[in-house]
Amino acid sequence: MRTRAVIGSAFAAFAILAVGWEVGTSSLPPGQTVTAPTSSAPDSGGSTPNSGTTQSRSAGQSGSASPSEQNSPSAAPDPGSSSGSSNSAGAADGSYTGSLERTPWGDVQVGVTISGGHIVEVPALHLTDRGGQSVQISNYAAPILRSEVLRAQSAQVSMVSGATFTSEAYLASLQSALDQAGF
Amino acid sequence: MTRVHWETMGTVVSLLTAARIEDAVIAEVRSALAKVDARFSLYRPDSELTRIAAGELRLEHASPELLDAYAAALEWRTLTDGAFTAHRPDGVIDLSGIVKAMAMRDAAEVLRAAGEENWMLGVGGDLLWSPDASDHTIGIVDPDDRRRLLTAVRLDASRLALATSGSAERGEHIWNLPDLAVSPFTQVTVAAGDIVTADVLATAIVAGGEQTLDLASAHWNIDVLAVARGGTIRATPGMREAIARAAAAA
Repeated sequence: MRTRAVIGSAFAAFAILAVGWEVGTSSLPPGQTVTAPTSSAPDSGGSTPNSGTTQSRSAGQSGSASPSEQNSPSAAPDPGSSSGSSNSAGAADGSYTGSLERTPWGDVQVGVTISGGHIVEVPALHLTDRGGQSVQISNYAAPILRSEVLRAQSAQVSMVSGATFTSEAYLASLQSALDQAGF
Repeated sequence: MTRVHWETMGTVVSLLTAARIEDAVIAEVRSALAKVDARFSLYRPDSELTRIAAGELRLEHASPELLDAYAAALEWRTLTDGAFTAHRPDGVIDLSGIVKAMAMRDAAEVLRAAGEENWMLGVGGDLLWSPDASDHTIGIVDPDDRRRLLTAVRLDASRLALATSGSAERGEHIWNLPDLAVSPFTQVTVAAGDIVTADVLATAIVAGGEQTLDLASAHWNIDVLAVARGGTIRATPGMREAIARAAAAA
């Protein structure tokens, strides 16, 4: 999975939060923290994070991984990791709240919900709200995880949107396929 | 659902309706779209715009419809700080960035006037629907592999149109700004309350890049999904919610 690189760039843009996920991968740039957990837990009923504790992981602390995490089958460091050091800890299920970041336009804070080692949601908990800027900045097109986008890929669709040059033949064909499928 | 499709303006039209639609109404919709093609296509040697480009017809003698479209395109150019343009690099007036959307708006008016309910109209990848059809799930093509969908969206009820523009292949589709050699975006999808806004801004963001993306998302009530070269995807909060809704319904 290359999604880790994607989320890395996503959060770097906000300079808010980075969190490793997928089995055996955790890559946090120095100085960025994950605070766990919040009151909400994933509805999948996965393991519940320890209530009331705060974890701070940094990229240099791979030695703190638990034995089970070290035995993870995909614990090998990813050569593509930009942090230069991979923590082998698998992300624990739960909802995590990123630190509140102050920007010239106001405060920004996002969370992340992990279930089964995957990020399932990255809710924006707080977007800027200073005066008249709120609507503008809060409609900012932020980087989004490819995995989040792909989750809807299998949805049954009524129609398809693509650039015109996407090829009329393609669209016509897809459309007729949809017709046959009875959408 | 009933679906009808046909070709016009060099592309495919698809009309999806909950109830069977009368042939007479379909004929009227076809006619509304064909009229625009006849007037504005630069691919047709006999279109009004082709005659203006060739110097056979002076702009001041052009039809009110053409002048309206030209004025609208110029206004969008101003609003988008020049990212949207009404001219080809050679100076010829090219309204292809706006006339398809205007044609779709006309077609929608035909459907409304005929009392049609729960319909969705697609023309070459741009979509427009009636307010009671907002619960449809719409697929968005993956610009890197057009055989599949990148994602799907279920938009907010305030959205009545969705348009996608791209920067690959047919380079003439969008004229990039002079200082932007290559668009940073391979594909931009915009959802809005009307098709002209959606289509123009999708085109403008591809042409104008990051700066226009920020401008458009800040100043218009729109949702945007922008795919950058290299695969990074950006989405406004509303678009992100629309994707989550589609995923939940999948």
